[in-house]
Amino acid sequence: MPETRVLLKHAEDPELRTLAGYRGYGGYETLERAYRTMEADEVLKELEDSGLRGRGGAGFSMGKKASFLPRGDMQKYLCCNADESEPGAFKDRELMMRNPHQLIEGIAIAALAADATLAFIFIRGEYDLVADILDTAVAEAYEAGYLGKDILGSRRDLELVVHRGAGAYICGEETALLDSLEGKRGNPRLKPPFPAVQGLYGGPTLINNVETLSNVPRIVARGAEWFRGFGTEQSPGTKVVSVSGCVRRPGNYEVELGVPIRELIYDLAGGPLEGREVKAFYPGGSSSPVLTPADLDLPYSFEAMAEARSMLGSGSIIVADDSISIPHMALRTAQFYHHESCGKCTPCREGTNWTVKMLERVVRGEGTPMDLDIIASVQENIIGHCLCVLGDAMAMPVGAMVRKFREEFEQAIAAAGEAPRPIAAVQGAPETMGASA
Amino acid sequence: MSREVTIVIDGREVSAHEGEMLHDAAKRGDVEIPVFCYEPKLGDPVGACRMCLVEIEGIPKLQTSCSTPVRDGMVVHTRTDQVKSAQNAVVEFLLVNHPLDCPVCDKGGECPLQDISMGWGPGKSRVIDEKRHFEKPLPLSPLVAIDRERCILCYRCVRFSQEVSEDAQLQLLERGDRTYVGTFDDRPYISPFHGNITDLCPVGALTNYTYRFRARPWDIEQAGSVCTLCPSQCNVSFTVRDEQVKRVLARDNPDVDDGWLCDRGRYGFSMFSASERIDGPRLKGGAATDWETAIARAADGLKAAGAASAALVGDASNEEGYLVQRVMREAVGSPNVDSLTSVFGPRRETFLRLADPGLSARVRDIDQADLILVLGTDPLHSSPIVDLRIRKAMRRNGARLAVATDRPTALDGGAVAATRYEPGGAADFLEELSKALEADADNQASAIAEAARGAERVVIVWGEQLVQPKASAVDQLVVISDHLKLGEQEGSGLLEVPVTANSRGLREAGCLPDAGPGLSEAEPGRTTWTLPAAIERGEVTSLVLFGVDPLRDFPKTEKWRAALAAVDHLVVFSTFENATTAMADVVFPLETHAEKDGTVTHPDGRLQRVRPSASRPGDIRPNWGVLAELSLALGHDTGVDSQPSAFAALCEAVPFYAGLTDAEIGGRGVRWQEREAASALPTPPANEAPVVAELMKVSGEPPEGPFQLGTYRDLWAGPITELNPALRFLAPQQRVEISVADAERLGVKTGDKATVAQNGTSLQARVAVRERMQDGVCFLIGGTAENNANSLADAWPVATRVDIAKVEGS
Repeated sequence: MPETRVLLKHAEDPELRTLAGYRGYGGYETLERAYRTMEADEVLKELEDSGLRGRGGAGFSMGKKASFLPRGDMQKYLCCNADESEPGAFKDRELMMRNPHQLIEGIAIAALAADATLAFIFIRGEYDLVADILDTAVAEAYEAGYLGKDILGSRRDLELVVHRGAGAYICGEETALLDSLEGKRGNPRLKPPFPAVQGLYGGPTLINNVETLSNVPRIVARGAEWFRGFGTEQSPGTKVVSVSGCVRRPGNYEVELGVPIRELIYDLAGGPLEGREVKAFYPGGSSSPVLTPADLDLPYSFEAMAEARSMLGSGSIIVADDSISIPHMALRTAQFYHHESCGKCTPCREGTNWTVKMLERVVRGEGTPMDLDIIASVQENIIGHCLCVLGDAMAMPVGAMVRKFREEFEQAIAAAGEAPRPIAAVQGAPETMGASA
Repeated sequence: MSREVTIVIDGREVSAHEGEMLHDAAKRGDVEIPVFCYEPKLGDPVGACRMCLVEIEGIPKLQTSCSTPVRDGMVVHTRTDQVKSAQNAVVEFLLVNHPLDCPVCDKGGECPLQDISMGWGPGKSRVIDEKRHFEKPLPLSPLVAIDRERCILCYRCVRFSQEVSEDAQLQLLERGDRTYVGTFDDRPYISPFHGNITDLCPVGALTNYTYRFRARPWDIEQAGSVCTLCPSQCNVSFTVRDEQVKRVLARDNPDVDDGWLCDRGRYGFSMFSASERIDGPRLKGGAATDWETAIARAADGLKAAGAASAALVGDASNEEGYLVQRVMREAVGSPNVDSLTSVFGPRRETFLRLADPGLSARVRDIDQADLILVLGTDPLHSSPIVDLRIRKAMRRNGARLAVATDRPTALDGGAVAATRYEPGGAADFLEELSKALEADADNQASAIAEAARGAERVVIVWGEQLVQPKASAVDQLVVISDHLKLGEQEGSGLLEVPVTANSRGLREAGCLPDAGPGLSEAEPGRTTWTLPAAIERGEVTSLVLFGVDPLRDFPKTEKWRAALAAVDHLVVFSTFENATTAMADVVFPLETHAEKDGTVTHPDGRLQRVRPSASRPGDIRPNWGVLAELSLALGHDTGVDSQPSAFAALCEAVPFYAGLTDAEIGGRGVRWQEREAASALPTPPANEAPVVAELMKVSGEPPEGPFQLGTYRDLWAGPITELNPALRFLAPQQRVEISVADAERLGVKTGDKATVAQNGTSLQARVAVRERMQDGVCFLIGGTAENNANSLADAWPVATRVDIAKVEGS
């Protein structure tokens, strides 16, 4: 199965990342048209009609979100969430590295729709090289008059700032991102009020993921109908999918939403290594409940993943083959979220900590028969009770692993009392999980 | 006022204000929803603890009731299986890392975590893993211990530090379950309000060193009273064990203190049992005596002096003040009674004008004000809780603040305009301000006038010191009030910050030289500031000091020392031994506000009741009784034979207090302006020259010196730090504040030793270079134990000029 390259079109051309290279493929023509001839409402309508769903994880309609911003003279903001920190996700990095101007053009057009005049790209601190590329591209765009005061004589302004994060996963949560951007401790805020109403510095703020915004120029250029020609009814468009873990060709693949997962894992990523079989996979980053080989023929769409009690999330598939111990995988997942929990709300702070302690015991061969039920119940106690979704992000996959691979956990517990295994020597835990991308 | 709506909680209809938080509506409807992090006093809800999750019909996920505004027709469930399981879960999570050391924890028995665990928790633990460890307990400050293992990270203390006291010293460090509360670089948390975090803490993580291991909840009783250590008159609850105060807690009263206490009020109680406490009547030389002898001796001296007697009242209840002036006016036959410690204070007619209910602001009016104008006072030092209140109005309500003072204030930073005038220049400044408000005059008050433009609800917070040295300042205040239409606009008005705690009550009880109870006309008597000269001339030979220590608190120390030595007969009522009691012929003990039964009047006119909570040490008697007996010994029966009869007599004598009862005052107090009897306030006489003007003349030439001296009373200056071991570390050393330019000129920097001298008198001080100071002006603290600025203020009320010299080698 071939890829359907829209966002990654011409990505193989190293000149694409320069202004000249990007313009050579028709770049910024849409921005020029939008700023010269279109009203905010026209742009907004196009985005709403396209049905573009957020590519950061929640999958909320981008146009609808932009339409929530109040009208009026107050300062409005746009924040591009480039804090790609979910284990297994590395598609924003490639989009920004290969085609930074596509994102900048998308931001400028979205800012027009949202009437925002100050925009930020909040990029995770570890993406140092990417941030340098963005800095260069932003400078070029300013130089060319696509950013700054009175863009192309339209009497509209847009300032764009690239802000490097300080290395906390939680700052990818949109309200923690805002606090961090304001110079505060990166803790999620209570919602409502939603950022669209009261966001950065208390002003209306549109927050979108890199891939979402990168879609904007083509949607406005070619129309909502064209965009809807890709993907499914409820998941229109293409998606850059990061496939990693136990596959032969890990990497980013752009496909139409709705393609069978099997094709993504086996055709594009080359399937598991010689003599191995797929045992489980996260369909949407490490926070999505794991699926099993029985789910391989499901279409890769927001709706199908939700129906399978998992989620498409950021579109990152992590594959575990039959060499992987699921209890270890659960522990590694829990460790990540425990480490990244901000500590503001009780269920996440204590739940991630407690889960890690119990899983450590299980993996170490010191588990008790009660542990499995308690682990499962603790995950239930976290889900839906937290301030933000970080707690759920651990509880959902760990809960799913206990549910779907209970036997493996029971074996580990039954083996308790045999020589304990040091946690450091966790074997077969997917390498990609700790140091994502 | 918001619309009334009806919601249904657990099947019962509850009426609520639209937009208020569900938790609050439920509480009023008698449905308790457990919370840890939620505390409306701290501002917006944060929804962190997740304890208050409830089910709302139509919303699939459980919602935090602390942050969900009610809507009409909302149907809420707090006891369904889904909610119960969430509550169990949150309690269980909180206990994952909370040590179950309740038997040795000070909070045990009065701990919200215990209560909520019992009421809403699963009842058993499934945790077998080790809990987190910290070194403990550690001093967070010299007054507060922190036990980080017990902390459940509700963030209340951090939010207090950041959003209420605005000192931003408390922070969360680390993250996740490694998070802990601390300060930058482990520095001690020092702030005048920091004790409030011990009230806020829902577990035993923050405890007072003054209370740790002193009592258990079943040993103690809580007794509500009023703190009279400053004019804020915060409502407090005394924790009493074995009839002694062990702790002071805030007793929320939004009309007075908003639920906060300053550390002065919270930790000042240990001086009640200081060894300096006077615990019975004494004669000259400190010899203890019996009450009959003491009263007879006091009466003899007063009788002998007759009209040549005088009385000054300072720290006293309304009843005590009322009885002192009766003793003087009725039994002794002397008109000489005063309670004003500010010089040349305004007199009867000005007080009558200021007492106009329409012109008077309530404390809570600050919350809703468009503009707060602070004139001649730094609330942080003079009435700390007002400082918090002003900050709150700015932070939550966007109120604008303008400050005009002689000394930089703690509020300057947030003010839209902060203007300085010279010490003693208040009256002139106010005149300028009134001109600037009337016409767009370009003068030193323009910035303040500009800030006031367009403001509808204006609260002027003014300090009693404003009136020195020119009483005309208060007349200007009335003129300014007219300009700003304070009398017409609901929520606007004047709020005084007096020098002493019950200044307003004493004035209204008749402790003024030209006004009797209820600001009635009285035969003119001598004012405080004419007494030293009158004593010197032999015109006053007998002096009663009731809760006043001139040798510490008044300027012109040497003149007062000479006067106290010269007077034939000195009777001092005092709580503690001091230089003044050492000179007295008769000393009577005073009760503290934990022992006293009586009423006080808040600067905004609220009568509050001080209730006896602890036993009186030694042979101390209620002061109403002592004064009534003194009057009897002088041959005059006041008719007062109990505290209720003293209160009744007061209310009869003050027409605008008429009919007041203990029940009406209750636990929250009542503003007399809001009662019908308020109409009995006498009308001010029209444009009458102050009767006492003759007595106000100042003689002598102002002394020379390059710096004009201003003094201020530091929050921590005085017996409060000297007699409280716990607070001793806060006792201020004398410091001389000067401007940056003057410091450069003198070649001194902050911390240098300097001599401040005037006419041969001098004192030692550390230099403190301050921004926003006027050049050529310096400030010293009045009321310190050593190097008291009052000893320099010899020419006072004329501005004293001093010289400052660096002490070489410092």
